[in-house]
Amino acid sequence: MIVSSGGEHHSLQGLALRQAKTLSRSEPVIYQLREKGLDAGALETLCRQLSPIIEDSGSIFAVNERFDIALISKATGVHLPEASCPPDAVKKAAPSLIAGQSVHSADAAQAATNAGLDYLLFGPVFSTPSKEPFGPPQGIERLREVCLATSLPVFAVGGITPERAPSCIECGAWGVAAMRPFFDPETMPETINLFLSYLPT
Amino acid sequence: MTIPRRLLCVITDQHTNPVELARMALDGGARMVQLRRKSASGRDLFEWALRIQALCREHGALFIVNDRVDIALAVHADGVHLGQQDMPVASARALLGPETLIGVSVSTPAEAASAAKEGADYLGVGHIFPTSSKDKPMPPIGTAAIRPIIEASELPVIAIGGIEVDNAAEVIKAGASGVAVISAVSGSTDPVAATRELVKRIRQ
Repeated sequence: MIVSSGGEHHSLQGLALRQAKTLSRSEPVIYQLREKGLDAGALETLCRQLSPIIEDSGSIFAVNERFDIALISKATGVHLPEASCPPDAVKKAAPSLIAGQSVHSADAAQAATNAGLDYLLFGPVFSTPSKEPFGPPQGIERLREVCLATSLPVFAVGGITPERAPSCIECGAWGVAAMRPFFDPETMPETINLFLSYLPT
Repeated sequence: MTIPRRLLCVITDQHTNPVELARMALDGGARMVQLRRKSASGRDLFEWALRIQALCREHGALFIVNDRVDIALAVHADGVHLGQQDMPVASARALLGPETLIGVSVSTPAEAASAAKEGADYLGVGHIFPTSSKDKPMPPIGTAAIRPIIEASELPVIAIGGIEVDNAAEVIKAGASGVAVISAVSGSTDPVAATRELVKRIRQ
């Protein structure tokens, strides 16, 4: 399970901190920080706050794109957008980090397979407000194609609910990722555990 | 690595192909190229950085990446340039090691002293004159601001902001080790000739 934080257009720093503090009350997840609006200085400050809280809870902290900030804040992982610094270059420069990458097609999944990545993220599988401006969702059959195209673990993202999670796993997904269900940090541990109850152990 | 005296640094703009601009700047005699493209994807930055770093090596010039320490690490750039809102100097130094150049943008002696203490190798100081390249709410600091910044930091200063052929020599006379330009080269109809002319004025 990947918990994605942040938003498309506005900074949610306060939310990320409140979410991180609840992780000690849930099963371990990958907590992916998506903070597109912050300068690198502010992002580093936030990551240095989040990293010990998340890593001490047993979860994995993954910083979006900036592997330099992942390294300096002692995060375990980095999550690369599709148009990022190439994953093989990232792995060479930061071999200690777990690295995942977003892909949006079976071709991209295949191309990413031998780049040294640890996992892929594919979506949007279902309709989700943040991705609606980019067109219709990719759908469950595309997810199946992507899972067949790569030997890497694939996490399905985009409109994922606990009830929809099993259909993703049936298509070959390793796990699921979501952002919107966790906007209320108070209920986040219960929501994570609800998701996990729908996933095979 | 050290900063050569009387150096011209050409910074990429937001429109021109950065590799082409770097090639023209190096042909014109620039000793430093800084890749700066705020909205570019990591993939584009990496590809450009790889090629500009190779071009700079061929020309014996320095290649600096603006803001993106990750890209500098990935391509083994000669250096990074950090603004006040970017990664702190001490963090960048810890990641890049002692050999990679770290430049920091400052506009006051206090910022200069702090950058020096954290391990900066050179300072970008400006903006010296009025400039159209960046949206600047503050007034220009003028050439007289250069000397106190050098005294506070004991670091080489590369002056930036509104510098062109007619005022480049004045900036060097005021104590700067070098000059950085964006639009004076990228906005020129003949970037090679514009670079050559700037280099000539700086070395006079």
